[in-house]
Amino acid sequence: MSEQQTELVNDEKINLTITTPRGVKFVEEADMLIMRCIDGDLGVLPRHEPVSTVLGEGILRIFNNGIEKKLAVFNGIVEINGTDVDIYTTIAQRPDEIDLERAEQDRREAEAALEAAEEIQMRSLQVTLRRSLVRIEVSLHLEDEETP
Amino acid sequence: MTSMRDIKQRIENVRSTEQIIRAMDMVASTKLQKARRQLEGVRPIYGKLKRVAEEIGNLEEVETHPFYYERKVKNTLYIIITSDRGLSGSYNANILSETMKHMNNGKNEKILVVGSKGNDYLKKREKNIIRKITDIADSQVYYGTENLAKWLSDLYLSGEVEEVFVAYTRFENVLSYTPQVERLLPVATGVKLEDNNRNNEKKYEPDLATFIERMMPLYLHMSLFRAFSESHTSEQAARMVNMDAAGNNASDLIKDLTSMYNRKRQAAITQELSEIVGSANFLSK
Repeated sequence: MSEQQTELVNDEKINLTITTPRGVKFVEEADMLIMRCIDGDLGVLPRHEPVSTVLGEGILRIFNNGIEKKLAVFNGIVEINGTDVDIYTTIAQRPDEIDLERAEQDRREAEAALEAAEEIQMRSLQVTLRRSLVRIEVSLHLEDEETP
Repeated sequence: MTSMRDIKQRIENVRSTEQIIRAMDMVASTKLQKARRQLEGVRPIYGKLKRVAEEIGNLEEVETHPFYYERKVKNTLYIIITSDRGLSGSYNANILSETMKHMNNGKNEKILVVGSKGNDYLKKREKNIIRKITDIADSQVYYGTENLAKWLSDLYLSGEVEEVFVAYTRFENVLSYTPQVERLLPVATGVKLEDNNRNNEKKYEPDLATFIERMMPLYLHMSLFRAFSESHTSEQAARMVNMDAAGNNASDLIKDLTSMYNRKRQAAITQELSEIVGSANFLSK
């Protein structure tokens, strides 16, 4: 029984589609996805039960044939239905699309501003900080691969 | 009787007008390409989000949710998208007359007008304009509509309006665009969907209310952004087609005037010749 199940998982792939306001941005196959939802990480394997949920600000990790890819995805919603995973979001960035210098700068500025910030600004600064950290991590992931 | 000099002057005038028209035609066609790319980008996400929103509308438990609940309509908000500049043929007239037709049903309407052409038109008719947006830069549309979506849902949830319609011009191809008035809020319930089996036993996490709360701003943003893009693309297409026609008219006019000029010139030469021949004959007698 357990063997059968592993086999099923092995020969089926997730069809991942990411749609942004600039059109359908990614169409990829994957063995496993780990995404950041508003209430924590969610791992998806093929044949997941139909579910729709809300994405937070974080890293979308795509595992395919043992290779891990990372994308920065900020907010949006995801529809999971069997082997189809559709993500609708306003921002989805590949590592090569991220301006690392700018993200570092954003992080420094947000950190500095947070020290003196008032309650009202707190939230937007935290968002900026979180986004810059995600971008930095995604972007560094690419560099690791290039310099093994 | 116009003299040859007058005709020549007129040809010059028409020619310089034609040059301006051709330049505007080119500007419009470049803008059209850009607008079209933007539109084709936003259409898929809008279509999918619309399906998600309507799928939720089919669930029984959302009937009382503010975004889906059909309240008794006292005030209706119209978002009317027109252009800031003219010279686009019947583009503005079409969308405005379509909206006026839609409005004539005795409801209390509030209007958000986009574009100065629509603003002038509705002001003259003393309509209740509660907000106007003019001279919005192309690059600002995306963030502008995001803020607008926020404003819209605040207005809707605070009970100022019970219904929201958006009037825009849908772009089909360069030669055809149709004015359209669509209801944005409340989201339609009980829409027949093509593949109903998707809907069964679907779960929403963390829960349906949170999902709607997070999905709705995105949906409204994309709806507005798409309506703006559709209208903007149609506007550029209309302008391009009209400028093309105007350019052709100018060429025809130049052709007519030139042949008229040539005829006059020929007549003058003939007259001169016959005078010379006549006087030569007289002298040789």
